[in-house]
Amino acid sequence: MSTNTAIKIENLVKRFGKGDSLVEVINGASFEVKKGELVALIAPSGAGKTTLLMMIGCVEEPTSGTIWLGDEKVYENRWLTKQTRKIRREKIGFIFQAHYLIPFLNIIENVTLIPQTNGLSKQESEKIAIELLDYFGIADKAYSMPSSLSGGQNQRAAIARALANKPEIILADEPTAALDMKRSVDVVKMLKKIAQEQDVAIIMVTHDEAMLPLCDRILKIKDKKVVSEEVSKFQDLH
Amino acid sequence: MINLAYKEIKHTFGKFIITAIGVGMLLGIVLIMIGVYRGMIIDAEVLLDDLNVDLWVVQENTLGPFAEASRIHEDLKDTIHTIEGIKSSEGITFQNLQLPQKSKMIRVFAVGFDPYGDINPINPDRLIDGRGLKRSHYEMVVTDKTGFKVGDKISLGRDIYRVVGVTHGTVSSGGDPLVYISLKDAQELQFLYSNARIRNDRKRGIKTLNSHMINAVIAKVKNGYDVDEVANSIRRWKHNSVYTAKEEKKILTQNLIKTAAKQIGMFTVILVVVSTIIIALIIYTMTLEKMKEISIMKLIGLPNSMIIKMIVQETMLMGILAFFAANIFAHLIYSKFPKRVVLETPDAFGLFIVVILASILASLVGVKKVISADPREAIGG
Repeated sequence: MSTNTAIKIENLVKRFGKGDSLVEVINGASFEVKKGELVALIAPSGAGKTTLLMMIGCVEEPTSGTIWLGDEKVYENRWLTKQTRKIRREKIGFIFQAHYLIPFLNIIENVTLIPQTNGLSKQESEKIAIELLDYFGIADKAYSMPSSLSGGQNQRAAIARALANKPEIILADEPTAALDMKRSVDVVKMLKKIAQEQDVAIIMVTHDEAMLPLCDRILKIKDKKVVSEEVSKFQDLH
Repeated sequence: MINLAYKEIKHTFGKFIITAIGVGMLLGIVLIMIGVYRGMIIDAEVLLDDLNVDLWVVQENTLGPFAEASRIHEDLKDTIHTIEGIKSSEGITFQNLQLPQKSKMIRVFAVGFDPYGDINPINPDRLIDGRGLKRSHYEMVVTDKTGFKVGDKISLGRDIYRVVGVTHGTVSSGGDPLVYISLKDAQELQFLYSNARIRNDRKRGIKTLNSHMINAVIAKVKNGYDVDEVANSIRRWKHNSVYTAKEEKKILTQNLIKTAAKQIGMFTVILVVVSTIIIALIIYTMTLEKMKEISIMKLIGLPNSMIIKMIVQETMLMGILAFFAANIFAHLIYSKFPKRVVLETPDAFGLFIVVILASILASLVGVKKVISADPREAIGG
């Protein structure tokens, strides 16, 4: 696998149920995402976008296929490690539709939670967190509770949390769904900047076609497979 | 490392404290129940300790005056006195009376004894006002719980008694306040029929029972004599039952209090089980309220051990706070109970162990929920 490849998927299959109730969501998906790329993942509702994202994130077990994360093959018809949660903690950052910050932790505690779990000291973790929060313009809110911040500020804090463990991959599940157009554009631009500056591969599930021209590439789930779409096709929407 | 339990409790402090106080009040009742049992044991032993005699001679084949009816002739005390090794012996009676006080009646346990005898059941240390009995008739020493004071007059049977002394902390094994009257008065109250009844019995040809009866002979053994050997020599007559002070105490604490202790024990066990279930339900509900956060924590890679630690620490802290609340609550209300409640440190320590075990058990419910939490539930909605 190329050293520049962050995610490599080969012949990935996901089926739910058995017998008459068997549902095939993904059948033979293969694609790659390079470091520093912001890739949009689109498909109609129920087509398996989140399922695909969760398989890449080592949350949902595929039925068959191969998954590479960086230079580590993590799945080949079965998980090749028992520590999928450790992989998530060390290699992946998650961003959700809502911020999903832990409500009983303040912003800096939310951001330092994973780095501290990964073994960094409190001081080291807080240094990283303050840098990130400063980067997102909310350093002054570091010791505020999520309940006292606006939706946009919380979403930025959530992105900071996703970046705090210096991940190779960020999986963003509709991060702009709850935001207005202006804020959505800001967030996607921010993700693109992060991808480029920090050499992180980002897969962003979105329904919002207006965000697609901001991405480097577009992947679409079509007939249970993943196909590439040209960004230029969506340029006029922006 | 961030302590999740501390952060979560800090975030929901008021709710957490109120819940702990609620559970604590329930556990406080457990402490009170144990205290009631301890009080019963102490109450049962008050009279025996104050009498401080070596032997109890009672009616044949009975367990004595505290367990069942015992009637023996008063002159048995003189016969007992002649036995080798006996230092002193006296007759004694016990009976429940209702004393009229203003508009209500007070139930008391009356001890009848010879004020001129060698054995006096009134412990001078417990006498807080007045004096002991000095006359053979119409004097009474009462316990302060009855509300009577020195000089008060009490109408009882055919006579009026004067309160000459007040004691503190004297109760019967049943928890009734103790009063002391002379043996002669006690015999009249217990064994002397009314004139009408005597006349009626005579016409029926029934021989009237003489009133020179007692419920037991109490005796002290001379120094150098073995109490059991002296008891055995009295038993040889086969017309009376004899118990040593140790046996009499056993009859009181094991035979009489046993049922009550079982009853209290049952209540205590049920309360502990209910408390455990309530703590478990609270922890379960608290865990359910955090399921979204737990799913997110699992999704972003937090190990189960950290989340489980949070649940277990919260449960333990809940238990410990409830334990302290229980102690405060029990100490605030125990003196309000009509019967003696004794709160002892070893019992509180025992409850602490039980609370810790109950908390561990209760936390398993939350831990099970944590383990089963699906990180996929964090996605969408």
